Amino acid sequence: MEMFQSTTDAGILTLTVSGRLDADTTPRFGDALNGCIEQGNHKIILDLAGVDYISSVGLRALMVGAKRVAPLGGKIVICAPHARVLKLLELAGFTSILPIAATRDEALERLR
Amino acid sequence: MASVSAVFSNDRAEISRLAGLAERFGQAQQLSDDEVMAINLVLDEVVTNVIDYGFEGFAGTPEIRLTMTLEGDELTILVEDNGRAFDPLQAAAPDLDVPLEDRPVGGLGIHIVRSVMNTVEYDRRGGRNVLTMHKTISRA
Repeated sequence: MEMFQSTTDAGILTLTVSGRLDADTTPRFGDALNGCIEQGNHKIILDLAGVDYISSVGLRALMVGAKRVAPLGGKIVICAPHARVLKLLELAGFTSILPIAATRDEALERLR
Repeated sequence: MASVSAVFSNDRAEISRLAGLAERFGQAQQLSDDEVMAINLVLDEVVTNVIDYGFEGFAGTPEIRLTMTLEGDELTILVEDNGRAFDPLQAAAPDLDVPLEDRPVGGLGIHIVRSVMNTVEYDRRGGRNVLTMHKTISRA
């Protein structure tokens, strides 16, 4: 699992993740996401285009992050999830509580 | 009939071994990528659950035994562990209709397992937890 982050206009942070989000790798991802939030980034694009696998532990980390930024007026937008990952997001009922965008531009629109 | 078995310890680092095993089994049996991922996910969820909750306060040597059998299109996954009696099927199904602020963060793992597999049964036999799961493989 690999991650890198970049800040775009209007204080929107993009965290790009690739590889697997399972019980073994997710703690590192969760720490990185929490770190971003603690640094004051409350509008976050989570680019999951490179994530080909997510388990409930990974899903939980997404929800924990979303729950943390919501009371701060923030939002996490999931961007370009792989079809298999999207299926899991649907199965977990996440598509009704987390905004999902097909592209970076669409994700930015949702956060502006 | 094809069968594979392996023993795992209660360490989250074992999850990547599980992924490799699911992949090799899937390739050997010419399963689709979607089926391999579904199997991987089920193994991951069940074994992670055992690793995280099955051995709390356990004094012996933790052992998680996996057996996977494919007969035609019928897949059987058996996960046994020697931890404390723990029935993961007792977990309440998550309510997927509540808003984000009220949504509990847990309970998704077993929901995923139940959704992917056709049947999931728990038994406590000879001091071991035994989870038996069946799925009809789609070859499409």
